[in-house]
Amino acid sequence: MSNLYEVLEICLNEIEQGADVETVLFRYPEFAEELRSIVEASVSAKEMAVPMPSQEIIKRNRARILQHASEMREQSTASSRRIWSVPLRRALVTLMVVAMLFVSSTELVRASSNTLPGDNLYPVKRTWEDVSLFFTFDTVKREELELDHENERLDELHELFAEGRSANVDFAGYVTKQNGTEWQVSGITVLISPETHLPSQRVEINAAVQVKGQAQRDMNVLAERIELLPPGTKLPELEDNEDNGLENDNEEREGSNLQAVENAGDVSVMEPSVVPATQTPVLTVESEPETESFDGVVNSIDNGFIVVNGTSIDIDHAEIIGDLNIGVSVNAEGYYDTNGVFVATKITFKSADSTSGSESSDNNTSNNSNDDSDHSDDHSDDH
Amino acid sequence: MQEVLLFSTLVMRGAARTMSYDERSALNGLRKLDSQSIGVIYDQYFIEVYRYVRYRINDDTVAEDIASDVFVRLLEASQKNKGPQTNLKGWLIATASNVVNDHLRRQYRRPAEALSDSMPDMNTSVRAEVDLREQSQAVKVAYAQLTTEQQHVLALRFGQGYSLEETASHMNKKVNAVKALQFRALASLQRLIGEVSYE
Repeated sequence: MSNLYEVLEICLNEIEQGADVETVLFRYPEFAEELRSIVEASVSAKEMAVPMPSQEIIKRNRARILQHASEMREQSTASSRRIWSVPLRRALVTLMVVAMLFVSSTELVRASSNTLPGDNLYPVKRTWEDVSLFFTFDTVKREELELDHENERLDELHELFAEGRSANVDFAGYVTKQNGTEWQVSGITVLISPETHLPSQRVEINAAVQVKGQAQRDMNVLAERIELLPPGTKLPELEDNEDNGLENDNEEREGSNLQAVENAGDVSVMEPSVVPATQTPVLTVESEPETESFDGVVNSIDNGFIVVNGTSIDIDHAEIIGDLNIGVSVNAEGYYDTNGVFVATKITFKSADSTSGSESSDNNTSNNSNDDSDHSDDHSDDH
Repeated sequence: MQEVLLFSTLVMRGAARTMSYDERSALNGLRKLDSQSIGVIYDQYFIEVYRYVRYRINDDTVAEDIASDVFVRLLEASQKNKGPQTNLKGWLIATASNVVNDHLRRQYRRPAEALSDSMPDMNTSVRAEVDLREQSQAVKVAYAQLTTEQQHVLALRFGQGYSLEETASHMNKKVNAVKALQFRALASLQRLIGEVSYE
């Protein structure tokens, strides 16, 4: 059979070269009969071969293929642009937003750095301080930063006072004086009102407190809330040139008592509304208060309270000696409760005669002429 | 004679193209959808593809569409990295064969209406020409009844004029297998021609 295939192949090649079918078959008589139909079929198959396509067909399909390739190129470019452009565009937009936020926030923080309480940008300043603290992990640096911020609060207060502005403020400091309703906290005068929310514990001199209130134009802060800070809280040191600087505890306490008496004669500078006559103690005294003495002239009498030289004195629980009248000199012994109200334990009213008669012996009571400086000096001399 | 001259001219042109044709760079350009490379590939192979398809499909328009479609498939395959890496001609002929087979399958499912048997009256010379056409038509009808593999081997051997070795390469078969297949295909064709002519 393989011989047959080989002979067929030879015959096909010879016919391809132009030989006649019969001539070819004549050379292989043993296969001639079998191959005749096959070779004739090959001739028929060869005759089926198609001519070359026309130039028109070639050009037409060439243009079609190239057009298709061009469309594919455009689609490929568009799709690759889509693939890359979406994340690229998102990244660019994100970058731009971040850059804008960074620039604007930087400018905002810079602009807010000199603001004071009550300014529109002041919250930005405080927020930036909080953010700075949040990202400060070193304990020492964090404490330094907190101290800087507290100093900044005090500076802001001084600036507010200098500009005569009123604003809500909060600051921290040491209580250096407690004179009735007027305290000194880190050199800032803080006024205590019945609405002031005070801590349940007694606020001692030298205690670290957080004061929240309203800075008033007359250079004091009307306290809305006073909170005790934990012991050891780092707060701004007071400057040496301040007359209410911290000394040792005993001296300070004596000084504060003295100052309380001095300021009792100095209450004329206080706003009458700050110390209402209806003031009542709201806190229980948990520790034994120190007894203090208070001299002055009765300005008014009102339902368990008398006002002496502008200071309210609770006389509900006092042992009263003498006749209670407006204009008479009075010596009050008692203590300041946590609200700063002087609670009298013993009240001695002196008659007008005895007042004038004691002028030579008691400088404090004789000096009812509202000469505050002399009055203070006398006290200082006594001590 | 004129046809022989035309064929020779085209073969010479093809040879000239072959000399300047660099298949590797053409394939690289094809992957980038480079128009020049695509044009070079088309010029190199379209005629061969068309003649193969036209040999198997007895319809000029369909053959042209299929030949063109083979090159469209080449573009799309190259973009999906499924195109030919080396033997571009083999890929094109194989694809052409597959597309033709698909077309024939669809055609078998939807057979065309039979031509009318009634023939107009003709004179002698016209009759002879008609006989010749009928004979040619009988061969084509018989060819269409061969298996796709038999059609394929005859198209390569007698339509394209490929050697046994080249045919075997295109069909992924050994030469002896192609010899046997070719023998059976020719025997079937001759038998079917007789049947068609008899009918």
